[in-house]
Amino acid sequence: MSDLAHGTPLIEMKGITKSFGAVNALIDVDLVLYPGEILGLVGDNSAGKSTLMKILTGAYHRDSGQVLVDGKPTNFRSPHESRDAGIEMIYQDFALCGNMDVGQNIFLGRWPRRGPFVDRRRMYRDADEVLQRLKVDVNSVYQRVESLSGGRQQSVAIARAISFEPRVVILDEPTANLSVMATERLLETMLELKKHNVAQIIISHRLQDIFAVGDRVMVLKRGENVGDRFIAHTTEQEVLQVIVSGTHDTALTADQALAEAAAVT
Amino acid sequence: MTTTTVSTPGRRPMQFAGGWEVGLLVMMALLYIAGAFLNPRFFGSTDALQALLRDSARYGVMAVGMTFVIANKDLDLSVGSTFGLVGVVFAYVFDPAHFDMGVMPAIIACFALGTLIGLINGTLVTILGVPAFIATLTMLFIGRGFVLGLTGGQSILYPIKARDFTWFFQLGETNALGFNNQIVIALVVVAVGAVILAKTRWGYETFATGGNEQAAIYAGIPTRWVRVRAYLFSSWCATIAGLMAVAQDKGTSPQTGLMAELIVIASVIIGGASILGGRGRVIGSYLGALLVFLINKVLREGWPVVRTVEINGQEVQVQAVFTLPAGAVPAFIGILLIIAVLIEPYIIRRRIPARIVAWLKGRPPPVVADAGGVAIVGAQTKGAMASDMAYNAKGFGKFLARRDALAIILAALLWLVGLILRPDYWWYLPNSFALLLNYTELALIAVGLTYVIAAGDIDLSVGAVLALAGSAAAYSLKVLGLDPVSAMLVGLGVGLAAGAVNGFLAVVLNLPAFIATLGMFYIARGVASWLVSGQQLTGWDESYNLIGRKIDDILAYLDIPNPTGFIGAITDVMSIQTVWMILVAVIAGTVLGLMPYGQRIYATGGNRRAADYAGINTKWIRFTALLFCALCAAMAGLINIAYFRSFNPVAGQFRELDGIAAVIIGGGSIFGGYGTVIGALAGAAVITLIRALLQLNVEGFTMPQHWVNVFVGGILIVAVLVDIWVRQNNALGLLRARFRRSSSPTPETVNV
Repeated sequence: MSDLAHGTPLIEMKGITKSFGAVNALIDVDLVLYPGEILGLVGDNSAGKSTLMKILTGAYHRDSGQVLVDGKPTNFRSPHESRDAGIEMIYQDFALCGNMDVGQNIFLGRWPRRGPFVDRRRMYRDADEVLQRLKVDVNSVYQRVESLSGGRQQSVAIARAISFEPRVVILDEPTANLSVMATERLLETMLELKKHNVAQIIISHRLQDIFAVGDRVMVLKRGENVGDRFIAHTTEQEVLQVIVSGTHDTALTADQALAEAAAVT
Repeated sequence: MTTTTVSTPGRRPMQFAGGWEVGLLVMMALLYIAGAFLNPRFFGSTDALQALLRDSARYGVMAVGMTFVIANKDLDLSVGSTFGLVGVVFAYVFDPAHFDMGVMPAIIACFALGTLIGLINGTLVTILGVPAFIATLTMLFIGRGFVLGLTGGQSILYPIKARDFTWFFQLGETNALGFNNQIVIALVVVAVGAVILAKTRWGYETFATGGNEQAAIYAGIPTRWVRVRAYLFSSWCATIAGLMAVAQDKGTSPQTGLMAELIVIASVIIGGASILGGRGRVIGSYLGALLVFLINKVLREGWPVVRTVEINGQEVQVQAVFTLPAGAVPAFIGILLIIAVLIEPYIIRRRIPARIVAWLKGRPPPVVADAGGVAIVGAQTKGAMASDMAYNAKGFGKFLARRDALAIILAALLWLVGLILRPDYWWYLPNSFALLLNYTELALIAVGLTYVIAAGDIDLSVGAVLALAGSAAAYSLKVLGLDPVSAMLVGLGVGLAAGAVNGFLAVVLNLPAFIATLGMFYIARGVASWLVSGQQLTGWDESYNLIGRKIDDILAYLDIPNPTGFIGAITDVMSIQTVWMILVAVIAGTVLGLMPYGQRIYATGGNRRAADYAGINTKWIRFTALLFCALCAAMAGLINIAYFRSFNPVAGQFRELDGIAAVIIGGGSIFGGYGTVIGALAGAAVITLIRALLQLNVEGFTMPQHWVNVFVGGILIVAVLVDIWVRQNNALGLLRARFRRSSSPTPETVNV
């Protein structure tokens, strides 16, 4: 997978620092993401994973550091601005309106219109198209979201994200509330997205999910980057070790770790 | 963020009182001095202090119970009616003209009543999941209906029989030590309440429940019982307060305890409790009650002024007392409530005092707790089963599964009931016309409320805003002598202003909508009767009244001959207001159902955070919905005074109850995200028909208005319960499933 590491990174975050009052949430954190790559972001609770992602989407503002998209520096003030740059986030609770149907949710806030009225025909047709493209199993675009199971609600949230044609999708704890079957389907969907060259960042506690689909895994600990590894050249055991005993000083990038491993053998 | 490493934890925090209470005492002293300065004759004497302590004692007692409820993150609006109803029940049991029993049975009956009301409130709010403000507001209206219905609007007095029971009635009198016994009772209740809340596990459980109910449940605290318990405390305190009033007055009047809930809630909030739960101290609440009552007294007693009057060409200086007119006091206390509610989030949470101190001393400002960024709340999935049924239903089932089906069927059924009971009257066209008039007012309000409720807010002030707009228009016509069009614009403008205040408080200052509009409920009604000095205003240019007339009458006014035949029949029954209402309903229904603005309203009410992420300006949506609702209420107010050719300060009373009931029956959800204009119109028809049927004269019997209000209150509660349990949680389906499971041996496979 190291071939991905060459070429221009899609996202580059450099030296990100953020503190809330006296608490340092992030200290000098770097992150790179290449097109079509699936990056797992792991670490303990309060390691700063969600904060880092919220800085990327513009929900939080960094104290210092740089965020580059396509090599150009950006300064997102809100999630709407990062959306325009092709970054979509799927929240842990999906952020859907249960009282509205699937089609209305996919086009939430940007319902197509004809004259002053909502163009219902076009809305449902386009929503159906997105669902088809994603190969997700939602029976009908007319069904109310609150009557769907958790896994299907998530499919709607992903379909909604995909309908913006993003280049990066961030999934916050996507498997936290899903059954085994739904998790399987989600992982398939992620691979499907990867085929469309959409880069993805998964925040997760479940290493096996990241190992099932991921290309690279990055470990955060108490607001610091303590290393990253290529999935193809590491084991769950090693990643756990980094989570537990890694420090910022001993951190290796995936390339360094690969080179080191090559030198040993 | 620094922690002490010393083994002793330092001075323990104060539990009974703190800086807030000291501040209240200083504030009170200043106000009292101001009162003494303005009105030395009253406030200068020790009698005044006595009277203040005596009269505030009852409210102080109620504030003790309310502190528990508010610390639990609940609200009890029913205390005022419990307070009044206790007097009525006592009178019924004790009065020689009724049951003529002793004092003890009367007291027992009163406590039984208090327990019953507390249990009903507690059950509705905890087990049945009805929002606290809607459950207790309905209990307030029902209680008031009972007070008026049982007393027939008359005072019941029994001073002669009271002489035989001095041990009880002495409790309301001055004792040998020279001060009133009620003060002693209040202090005892405050002491007991303060110890329970600050020192016992019960108190700790209360704070845990109010601070984070989910965490409290995980910790094994029986939060439902904690909340029911607080409602019981609150009702018992209202019972004690009611008995204190009985002991003092030796009788009761239907006005007893009117708006007591406003004073009590304002007291508790001013006493340092948070409407967001988890904070509150009993002693602070008592001091708050004293302060609110002092303000009340200062406002009510007025101050002496010297007026210059010209008598026979000579200027004579006359001593007079300037007092505020009838509605001013509730208006001011309503404003006080709003201000008090704002103190906690904007001054205490932002640590303004500590910041000012730091700024004065030149130190860096203290750290303010993070406001929370993007909070993660659970996925909003309500009504799963009901929606699923609606999706799978076919044919007529499709209609039945609609959320507004109930209202449409009920309206049709009620119409038929009317037809069967009184065919003679029901078929009579002027009757339909009269029904339609009542319907117009309610339908306009319900259309406005649909927007607010679908957007996830509530507006409790619609009835009061109706009165305010009517009052402003009547005042413009009669006193200012404006022409009808200008008067209408004034009325609409005043209504819009009230809506803008609601919107500002709820959206910009982030107050819960029910508390913001509850404040407006008192303020608007207060100002409405203030404008007209509590009088009925009548006798202005007839051309204004045309907006409340039938088309026939207008043609007659314009000297145009009435058409005949079919058109004649229509002009005979249709009135301008009905046409106007239909116009508003069609526009509002189109916007809500077919336009992006309506979709934005549903998204905002369904999941406000999701709507925010989707780029919807939810603040603007909520603000405009509240504005539109007030505008509808104002239009109803303008039509009301035109129809009656006069303004009555009680116009629009109980309309908030009718309006909310109409929207909920018509498929709206009290939790937001649902509600259609067609449903609201059908719901309004149901309420109008129920009112008409209950007041139908069947074989010489007519139900009095008060009992009708009690009945409508009951309907509102039932409608909310149906919404929560049948539409959202599918209680019927679950019951059926359980029945099926127990009757069939093979278990059903669960679809994952």
